[in-house]
Amino acid sequence: MTMKKTLLICAAALAFPLSVQAQDVLTLYTSQPNKDAQMTVDAFEAANPNIKVEWVRDGTTKLMTKLRAELSSGVVKPDVLLIADSVTMESMVSDGYLEAYLSPNRTKYEDSLYSDKGYYYGTKLITTGIVHHKKAPQSPTDWSDFIKPAYKNQVAMPSPLYSGAALIHLATLTDEKTLGWNYYEQLHTNQVKAQGGNGGVLKAVASGTKPYGVIVDFLAIREAAKGSPIEFVFPKTGVSMVTEPVAIMKGAKNKAAAKRFVDFLLSQEGQQLVLEQGYLPARGDIGVPAGFPKREEIRLMPFDAAKTLENNEANKARFSKIFEG
Amino acid sequence: MTPSLIKARFIDGPSMDSQLRWLSIGLFVLIATLSVVPSLRLLVEALSQVTLSASSPLAEVLRSERTWIALKNSFYTSGLGTLIAVVLGCGFGFVTTLTNIRGRAVWVFCFMLPMMIPPQVTALSWLQLFGPASPILNTFGIAPTLGSPQPMYSAEGIALLLGIQSAPLVYLALRTQLIALPQDLLEAAQLAKASPFRVWVDIIVPLCRSAIVAGAALAFVSSLGNFGIPAMLGIPAGYIVLPTLIYQQMAGFGNDMLSQVASLSMIIALLVLAGMLLQQWLQQRSRYALLGHTAKSISFRLQRWRLPLELLLAVILCFILVAPLFALIVSSLVPALGMPLTLDTLTFSAFHEMISRQGVTKRAFENSVFLAFVSAFVLMVVSLPLGYLLMRLPMRTRAVIASLIEVPYAIPGIVLAIAFILLFAKPLPFIEISLYGTLGIIFLAYLSCFLSVCLKPVLSAMSQLDPVLEEAAQLAGARPLKRLVDIILPLTAPAFFAGGLLVFLISINELTVSALLWSAGNETLGVLIFNLDESGDSVLASAIAVLVVMLVAGLMSLLSLCAPRLPKGVIPWHD
Repeated sequence: MTMKKTLLICAAALAFPLSVQAQDVLTLYTSQPNKDAQMTVDAFEAANPNIKVEWVRDGTTKLMTKLRAELSSGVVKPDVLLIADSVTMESMVSDGYLEAYLSPNRTKYEDSLYSDKGYYYGTKLITTGIVHHKKAPQSPTDWSDFIKPAYKNQVAMPSPLYSGAALIHLATLTDEKTLGWNYYEQLHTNQVKAQGGNGGVLKAVASGTKPYGVIVDFLAIREAAKGSPIEFVFPKTGVSMVTEPVAIMKGAKNKAAAKRFVDFLLSQEGQQLVLEQGYLPARGDIGVPAGFPKREEIRLMPFDAAKTLENNEANKARFSKIFEG
Repeated sequence: MTPSLIKARFIDGPSMDSQLRWLSIGLFVLIATLSVVPSLRLLVEALSQVTLSASSPLAEVLRSERTWIALKNSFYTSGLGTLIAVVLGCGFGFVTTLTNIRGRAVWVFCFMLPMMIPPQVTALSWLQLFGPASPILNTFGIAPTLGSPQPMYSAEGIALLLGIQSAPLVYLALRTQLIALPQDLLEAAQLAKASPFRVWVDIIVPLCRSAIVAGAALAFVSSLGNFGIPAMLGIPAGYIVLPTLIYQQMAGFGNDMLSQVASLSMIIALLVLAGMLLQQWLQQRSRYALLGHTAKSISFRLQRWRLPLELLLAVILCFILVAPLFALIVSSLVPALGMPLTLDTLTFSAFHEMISRQGVTKRAFENSVFLAFVSAFVLMVVSLPLGYLLMRLPMRTRAVIASLIEVPYAIPGIVLAIAFILLFAKPLPFIEISLYGTLGIIFLAYLSCFLSVCLKPVLSAMSQLDPVLEEAAQLAGARPLKRLVDIILPLTAPAFFAGGLLVFLISINELTVSALLWSAGNETLGVLIFNLDESGDSVLASAIAVLVVMLVAGLMSLLSLCAPRLPKGVIPWHD
């Protein structure tokens, strides 16, 4: 009976739909929000009717865990990656997992937005700034406001120990001369509370649990447009940013389609789509979405992906020492 | 007639053995694939980069002070959480099963539901209820001032929520035992003029100890691997436990991340082994054989205590079910996060969007319901012979096998998922079929993860079974399978159903295992809710969560309709 049962289980497992292997399938791993990922895929398929995109969406951390586990068992599943930050991409480059490709569209971009050998290309600018509840008593304008007594125990921020984007934010701010590590020590003294990620900060601020927060731009601006009682501010000193880079895997099965995907994202059409989704496009000659100030008014703080990767462990240890005692 | 019977038994003999032998081989192969292989794969990963140098990932993990802090914190929160779960689960269990409380079915029904509400929702609703922005406290003018400390952001806050989440585990394990209590013992005690309190302390509690210990063990193991609650409440307080520490390693950019994660999981596995030994030792001291169900369930008359007790239950349910559920519903009916719910802002657009426009909703519901049903069913079917065989093994062997089964449930779901990716990312050898990227791999992972959930109540029920009945059947010539189906199954049916029900409830909105194993077309409800929430669409996520609670409540009501046809006691919320 048990043997039968085991057989039955096997049979049931076999009967599950196996992944379809169509002629030209491109596999995409992305950390874009569901809706945006669907929009991107739809637009690409419309422009390339002979390519079908199969995509997996998850937060960068989980997606990288999945990818690392797959790579460790010797399988390359995705053809292209479209994930949050360039530091993760740098680590993939240094482990030799990425394929270099010089896209003809790169000329329209600033040098700092892509790797010079063509391993990855930034597709949009996701900046980290300040959010506050509309009923909050203060209206913060710069990072240094958060260490004032009026903000004691009122501020939420994503923890660099759990979120890659927050770690990049930390690296950027500690490199800024006027802020530095001293700033983070003062944040701790002022009882700023770390949350798991940007979603947690959004909830804390929108629900009024913490009236102020550190958050990525599009989350707050989009939610405010829907009617949420919050407001996003671009701080005076500048914002840190991640670039949501796209890259081709070295073992990709469908490199031709992967290259077309990269070209598409960097094209005028692809960048227009980024704008429609409510993000700041990486290409400078495309406008800004509703709710954003003019491009010239947004100050981007300098940041070095390779150096951040190198300092990553030390930064985390130092942050953990300050905030976890 | 006698000689022919002897002859028949003599001929029958070897085939009896073969039935048992095949059963054992089949089941041990099953355990090996479901429980041992994934754990071993992780062990290999943990040891993979070990070199003689001091900088291997395993050594680094063991040397890091934070590992030991997290271990200590995990032990504290899970231990305290288990204690809370035992108090809540047993309190509800004793009151709703043993007394003449009114509306018993409703209480039990409601007590099952908190498991279905995502713990993050419960935590958030409490933070809002007792926070500076609380609508209720502000109405009375007693809301805490802005910036006052939140007591929920602490080890005890984590433990409290863990306790509430796992209380139904204790409750269901205990209940299967309570309804099997022999009436004659109680009648004897009552004839001897023993007070209800003495009957409870001297007869009922000792007889239920094994079940309580089993439930507590489940609660402990489930708290140990929980990520959602400590992530929500621990991170702001800078309080790390093992699952959040594991997540920190994953969020790093390093190449040896997998080995570090695997090493940390091995520490959890060791904790589980220690816990299992403790459980075995405790249960060994409480072995009483019982004979089946009583015809009539026990009922203490509460008299003047009945109303206060009912009120107390109502207050507890308000906190663990009504308030969070209310918060969930409110947040699904507003246009955007943080807007107040008024007649003007009330909108069903989130439900409309998810039900009629997003094809993924239907798929996720189908996938999750299918997975939950099939996993619950398969595990129930497996638990019967498995429990039977385990009970025939020597004590020590049983303890070892039982703890091996426990490990996949205890390590955080995300790590188990890593093990399954490592095992199944390549097509299966020989047959060249890839399970990866299908529902099949999630199904296998669920079987591996939840086997111990289903088996625990069954084992506890079987350990209290009087062998006399089975021996009688054996003497009458019944072969093992017949004895299993005709004698053991009816006597332990409530335990099987409790186990199956637990598996169903846990897997219907399971998140962490499927988070890494899902693929396009194979979404589960947990993944759908989480992805929406993480992308900032928490209104849509709340709408789905409300639908899940409604679905489960609906399915549970359907089950009560079938209750008259099922053996007595199998549906917990139906007498």
